[in-house]
Amino acid sequence: MDRVFYDEMHDAHGACRPHYQAFSAWLSDTPSDVLAQRRREADLLFHRAGITFTLYGDEQGTERLIPFDTIPRSIPMSEWRTVERGCIQRVQALNLFLADLYHEQRILKAGVIPPEQVLANEGYQPAMQGLNLHRDTYAHIAGVDLVRDGDGTYYVLEDNLRTPSGVSYMLEDRKMMMRLFPELFAAQRIAPINHYPNLLLETLKHSSPLDNPCVVVMTPGRFNSAFFEHAFLSREMGVELVEGADLFVRDEHVYMRTTAGARQVDVIYRRLDDAFLDPLAFNPDSALGVPGLLSAYRAGNLVLANAIGTGVADDKSIYPFVPDMIRFYLDEEPILANVPTWQCRKPDELSHVLAHLPELVVKETQGSGGYGMLVGPAASAAEIEAFRARLKANPGAYIAQPTLSLSTCPTFVENGIAPRHIDLRPFVLSGRETRLVPGGLTRVALREGSLVVNSSQGGGTKDTWIVEDC
Amino acid sequence: MKLSIAHDTSYRYQDQVRASIQYLRLTPQQSQRQHVYSWELELPRPARAQRDPYGNVLHVLTLDEPHDEIVIRARGQVEIDEACECEAETASPLPFLRSSPLTQADDALIDFARRQCGTRRERDALAELMHALADHMTYTPGATQVESTAAQAFAGGAGVCQDHSHAFVACARSLGIPARYVSGYLLADDSDHLASHAWAEAWIDGQWYSFDVSNRLVRPDRHLKLAVGLDYLDACPVRGMRRGGGSESMHARVQVMPMQMMGQQ
Repeated sequence: MDRVFYDEMHDAHGACRPHYQAFSAWLSDTPSDVLAQRRREADLLFHRAGITFTLYGDEQGTERLIPFDTIPRSIPMSEWRTVERGCIQRVQALNLFLADLYHEQRILKAGVIPPEQVLANEGYQPAMQGLNLHRDTYAHIAGVDLVRDGDGTYYVLEDNLRTPSGVSYMLEDRKMMMRLFPELFAAQRIAPINHYPNLLLETLKHSSPLDNPCVVVMTPGRFNSAFFEHAFLSREMGVELVEGADLFVRDEHVYMRTTAGARQVDVIYRRLDDAFLDPLAFNPDSALGVPGLLSAYRAGNLVLANAIGTGVADDKSIYPFVPDMIRFYLDEEPILANVPTWQCRKPDELSHVLAHLPELVVKETQGSGGYGMLVGPAASAAEIEAFRARLKANPGAYIAQPTLSLSTCPTFVENGIAPRHIDLRPFVLSGRETRLVPGGLTRVALREGSLVVNSSQGGGTKDTWIVEDC
Repeated sequence: MKLSIAHDTSYRYQDQVRASIQYLRLTPQQSQRQHVYSWELELPRPARAQRDPYGNVLHVLTLDEPHDEIVIRARGQVEIDEACECEAETASPLPFLRSSPLTQADDALIDFARRQCGTRRERDALAELMHALADHMTYTPGATQVESTAAQAFAGGAGVCQDHSHAFVACARSLGIPARYVSGYLLADDSDHLASHAWAEAWIDGQWYSFDVSNRLVRPDRHLKLAVGLDYLDACPVRGMRRGGGSESMHARVQVMPMQMMGQQ
């Protein structure tokens, strides 16, 4: 059976969609050698800027350029408005869920989610139970991964509420496009995104009850795959970039060592996982964290963005319940749909999954980054059997979903332009209000037919345009 | 049983310590089993008490002036209700179904628990599990390190109270029973000696029951509880880090006497 893909630029009859017409005309008018020259220029500039990504599982720890494609992914404004409302609704519900879970647990008492699903989950942090956070915000920065099925419907593939990354690529891709092709931005109204660092800083400041809190970005260090982004965001916001060793705790307050002496830190935009934050409270081997940090946090003298314990809400075993959370907390119907999901912990759903492995995508509930998954249609018989054994040994650790026919977007490949599968990660900021800049990060699977867009798995990125409807 | 306790711990360092920070769980809590008449911690610097993630009383001691010694004194009067075998609690026991790196059950522990208990989940079954673990893991100081996991200690067939407790909670959780690590004091048989100790608790029929593998006890009548957690790291009385100081020597002195004698002195 041939799958039907939704192409972002062309309709089923091959005609260019209205919102892409200006770009399409420009593309056919521009000589191909000029385009090729600009693409080489882009590679060079990205390399010089040091925008690289370290591959996990690569023994050399190779830094690699994330391929950038110069054909933008474009979305008409009217369509974007719906996506935007859907993302805001979803993140609001997830924040309400976290506040409820770490306080009264109404949703568990109401029987909407089985308590053991949540409380025995690795992502649940007893350290958060009963702790009051300013504005009840847990996920100040959230990344919502969206894909489109054959008929163009948007689906939420997953929520990222821990330390979602990629926003620096969103911003750099735009800068690059404006530099290489200024004429495109003169000819068409494309919604700006360059105010993201300002919004982020505002969000971080509003996360604290103080008037003018001291905000820092905390990185695990330059060997982290996203170090470039940590440095980039601190520079763009004009705040200090710190590592654990730059901070210390005294009497339940966190201080930063500076040349002018110790300075109290009020908000930490932390880009390391919960387990590494405080070696006295979590992983004792962590050399990346700050001893005593948890005591300052629990005493209410520090804001962490995101909060500790958000992982319980973006775990893939909790994902199936998000539409119910929206109904429970907001009394609204979800604007964005979930991908239908089989929970392998349930015996009847497991047997369905085992019987249909070649058609399904199977994911680890705790995994991220596309490392521990099976894409049935792309897997060999041996790979499927190997995965079957893992699945049977520990069914609770997996969920399965139908293989979505991810939408495609024309992309430069070795032999010209060809459709490649894409997704979209808008970044949702929750401060005084919940909002996002128009667009997000579009990731593209550069291998023909591949549905895995993660940069660790050979994915690239595209600039994302929100354009006026035509 | 009313007790008066004095527990002094001193750390001496070979060189000057530039800065140090300690998480101290040295304060017993009021509960059905134990009544705390008074309890005081004397520290090199004042520290405010707070609650840790598992509800234990936590003092955070931060020292940023150079020091070569830290002395921590705990003084208090408590009463243990020897007749009370279990405790109810309002907090959900479900977080204690999770494992941690120190308490991850490997195949050997999972098999051991299944062989001992089969489909039984009642207190007697866990008591048998406790005896079987004590048989399998000989009490041997020095056989394990503080960072040894339940699986490692079990495979080595030896350990101390920490290893016994880790192995017990790993087995219980593998059977689907919430279980937790307890740190505290144990009063010796002759009632004039108190030692730091660790045991386990398991959630059965809506109550926490004690299982002291090292002493093969299911009645915690000589146990004063300080803290609970998923494992040793969550519940241990002192967990700290320091910069500088070189090697460290630790001396602990615990004095305990029946409380009525206090009045006669």
